[in-house]
Amino acid sequence: MPSHLNVDTKYWNLTDEIPAPPVERDIKSWIIGNPSDPLWDIDVLPLTYTDSRWSAFILKSPMDCLQRLCPNPPLSVYEGENGDLVEYWYVQHNNTMLGPYLEMGVTVAATHTDSKGNTWKGGYYPYMYLTQDSAVDAGRVLGFPKKMAYIRATEHGGEKGDDFFAFSMSRNGYLMHASQGKYDDAPVTPPAFYGQTDWGRLNMKVITRPDVASSEWQCTYLPSVLPPAFNVEGHRFQIKNELTRTASSDACDWFQQATPFDNMGAELKIDEVKGLISFTFDLVIPPAEVIWSETYERPASYRGYATPYQYGLRQQFPIHQGA
Amino acid sequence: MAKQANEYSYPWLEEGEVPPLPLDRDRIHIISQGVADPVFDYDIVPLTYTESRWMAYVVEADDAALKAFHPEPVELHDNILEFWYVIHRNTMLGPYMEFGVTSSATVKGSDGQVWKGGYYPIMYLSNDSPIFAGREPFGFPKKAAYIAGFEHGTNDNYFNHLMERRGYVLHSANGRYSDKPVAVKPTFFGKTDWGRLNYRITTHPSVAYSDHQVTYLGSELPPQFGNGHRFQLDPSSIRTATGDDIRSWYMAGSPFDFMGGLLGDVKVHGLISFTFNLIIPPASIVWEKRVERSDDDVAKHLLFSTPYKYTMRHRFLTPYYPGA
Repeated sequence: MPSHLNVDTKYWNLTDEIPAPPVERDIKSWIIGNPSDPLWDIDVLPLTYTDSRWSAFILKSPMDCLQRLCPNPPLSVYEGENGDLVEYWYVQHNNTMLGPYLEMGVTVAATHTDSKGNTWKGGYYPYMYLTQDSAVDAGRVLGFPKKMAYIRATEHGGEKGDDFFAFSMSRNGYLMHASQGKYDDAPVTPPAFYGQTDWGRLNMKVITRPDVASSEWQCTYLPSVLPPAFNVEGHRFQIKNELTRTASSDACDWFQQATPFDNMGAELKIDEVKGLISFTFDLVIPPAEVIWSETYERPASYRGYATPYQYGLRQQFPIHQGA
Repeated sequence: MAKQANEYSYPWLEEGEVPPLPLDRDRIHIISQGVADPVFDYDIVPLTYTESRWMAYVVEADDAALKAFHPEPVELHDNILEFWYVIHRNTMLGPYMEFGVTSSATVKGSDGQVWKGGYYPIMYLSNDSPIFAGREPFGFPKKAAYIAGFEHGTNDNYFNHLMERRGYVLHSANGRYSDKPVAVKPTFFGKTDWGRLNYRITTHPSVAYSDHQVTYLGSELPPQFGNGHRFQLDPSSIRTATGDDIRSWYMAGSPFDFMGGLLGDVKVHGLISFTFNLIIPPASIVWEKRVERSDDDVAKHLLFSTPYKYTMRHRFLTPYYPGA
């Protein structure tokens, strides 16, 4: 006779650390699909991070490249001091409500001014990659442009125990970026938004109808100062300065390329790798405001770009069976 | 002196292998964020699949257990489930592995019409683009997981399946095809008047409200593709196994995934496998409701965790390789 075993443990009954499935709760607590077993749930909120390790390459890029990456309307690239400096960052998130994960992103200094003359300044994210599905989806609700990728972030060795670094990212088998080197603790000029509480973070969310008849674009804004209830003074990135390390451009080997699946290496032009700044921090991510939105309608005849049953370069690569 | 290089070329564009760069397009041709490089792009539309291999266990679960994970207005029709693995070899989204549970269900739409369909309470995939192409426009409940599914041996007589997420095995089964008939089948199997139903929740970035929608995918082929079911099954590819042919079966709930806990002590009636082509058309919204939250509601219903304190669901090994 065959062996069939069903271990029907209901973990949410074993500990109050795990919320019951949404279908067993008030509908106001349902925040994401599916109602019986969501990809992430209310135990993510409020979303805090402890001892995350941020490692940001600072790049100098042509202004026309940065303007292209900031969708206009509604965004303009920041033209003030250090507006041409881009943050190209990796993070090791060790303790978060979403579980540990690795992350990579690009941040450009940008602004939005509405018809009443109100101006929002923020770091805008054209590209982001993470190693984990829940964190990708939770971020996408706020408008972050997250995809999944294979990411490595390493600091080790030397006199201080973390003198050497190596960062890399690949997706669908293609290397997108790799850098390695040794911290020399030389000064590195940061981007305009660094440490500024009047600079928030900007994202562009896209919500497409199930019938693909329209897509709504929402520019979202995350402030850098939190409401009083969080009891966090100053910037919501709470940096632990004693753990900061830096590397000059001369200390950073660097390679970047575009792939058929990811255009970052073609779109992001780099005049100079200015250096690397690494630090450890705690963080809170609050809800976001929608500061601009526009809906784009598609005609009923809309047929996309693909030819039925014909598969192109982006649709043919080795199958991967899991994580 | 460090060595540095940036390879800016994008040769696939000149050769017509990839669509125009998103930032060079009219905005109607961007269907997903990020707008500079979407996680799924318009080269997946129309979305077709060729020679996918479907392997569906037929599972009987307790009625009461099943009703508990069908949210209003989704009504459970019966207690026979399709518990399926798929190898998608050729798709607009690239190859990927997939798993899902489908129940037979009905929904009374906002206009009073009753919609019949296979409802998906659970789905897992091995690749990010189809996860978000399924979740965001349509409401498929997709998560990422490690999935293995294959047939091998003489005449591909042996089958094996395994799914794991965050270190917990959610399910595994293996056995040998006997090609004996499976006595029980899900109600929606092969019927063009039964579509597919999903429950989509889209939350505003401020969390001030969530839009709840039941979406419906019809089973009839879109007119330009002819007549019949949009699952174009190859009859010569069908293999079957009875419950006794399934040598081993293991399913468990985990702290991160409730399927094993929700389905309970199921009975496995057999396995039906087949090869098929498929079209996924746009979906319609058959029921919707906006649930608003005041500041008090947010505090009462959403803020479950304690800031900077991490629980068992927040502590597990960093997943270095996600399948992307």
